[in-house]
Amino acid sequence: MKIAVGNTLPPFRVECVSPEGMKAWAGFLRDPNPIHLDPRAVKSKGLGDRVINQGPANLAYVINMLQRAFPGAMIRTLDIRYVDNVFGGEAVEASGKITQLSESAGEIRLACEVVLRAEARGAVISGTATLCVPVGT
Amino acid sequence: MQASSLPPPPQVAGISLTGRAPYVISRQENLELCESMGIVPSGDDRAHPIYFFIATQIGMGMTVAELCAVCEFNVDDGPMIVSSKVEFSQSLLVEQAYRVTGEIVNLTRKLSRKIGVIDMLEYRLNLSRPDGTPVLVTTSVWVLPRGNST
Repeated sequence: MKIAVGNTLPPFRVECVSPEGMKAWAGFLRDPNPIHLDPRAVKSKGLGDRVINQGPANLAYVINMLQRAFPGAMIRTLDIRYVDNVFGGEAVEASGKITQLSESAGEIRLACEVVLRAEARGAVISGTATLCVPVGT
Repeated sequence: MQASSLPPPPQVAGISLTGRAPYVISRQENLELCESMGIVPSGDDRAHPIYFFIATQIGMGMTVAELCAVCEFNVDDGPMIVSSKVEFSQSLLVEQAYRVTGEIVNLTRKLSRKIGVIDMLEYRLNLSRPDGTPVLVTTSVWVLPRGNST
């Protein structure tokens, strides 16, 4: 993709956040919190009636979007706010926009606004990222 | 109740979160993590960058439940992560040992109109190679909802 301030990044979409995936992430994170595994636990806390995706999994979708937009780039910083939950079965889409650009020492340093949106509900993660991209890629 | 009338939170700033054992990102687990999102892992030894969170969280000296307990909070009452910051010096690699150091930065008590008394827990974790070479530093903020139990 063309790297220029104002350009939007190709989205990374998950059509259905799967409860099975949440079980896998509970293992990756060594996190046995039942709100990710059992809808009854979510209901008992008054948080809804579907299992809740792990926040780091939501952030990983944003990272996937950045890595697909800039293959070979290195993510240097992330500054992220988790503003809402993602529930089992929802569709989510990570997107971004280039906000700053500079070049030095053979690499392009760029800043992006990033967001993860749950379909029909809005932003669930928002923040900024900076990346370094080798010149010529 | 007003924020100024709240009892102070536990004094936990400065408590060490240095890990007891090295953390290694397994190649197999990195593969499974990528596959769980329908993506292909890096063709070289780079791990998915989300391991900044996983490696520091697991490699620090306490579980989340223990960290909550230090703050006199029961993990079953539902801590909620609100923000993450990370600054990478290097990419994360699979099958590379890392050590975690860090500390609690602060615990601040506030009054939320929605959920009552809350404590904001901020802690910082550093990931480095065994020789001390820094790899990343990350700061997390969690809300510990106290309700009216303080």
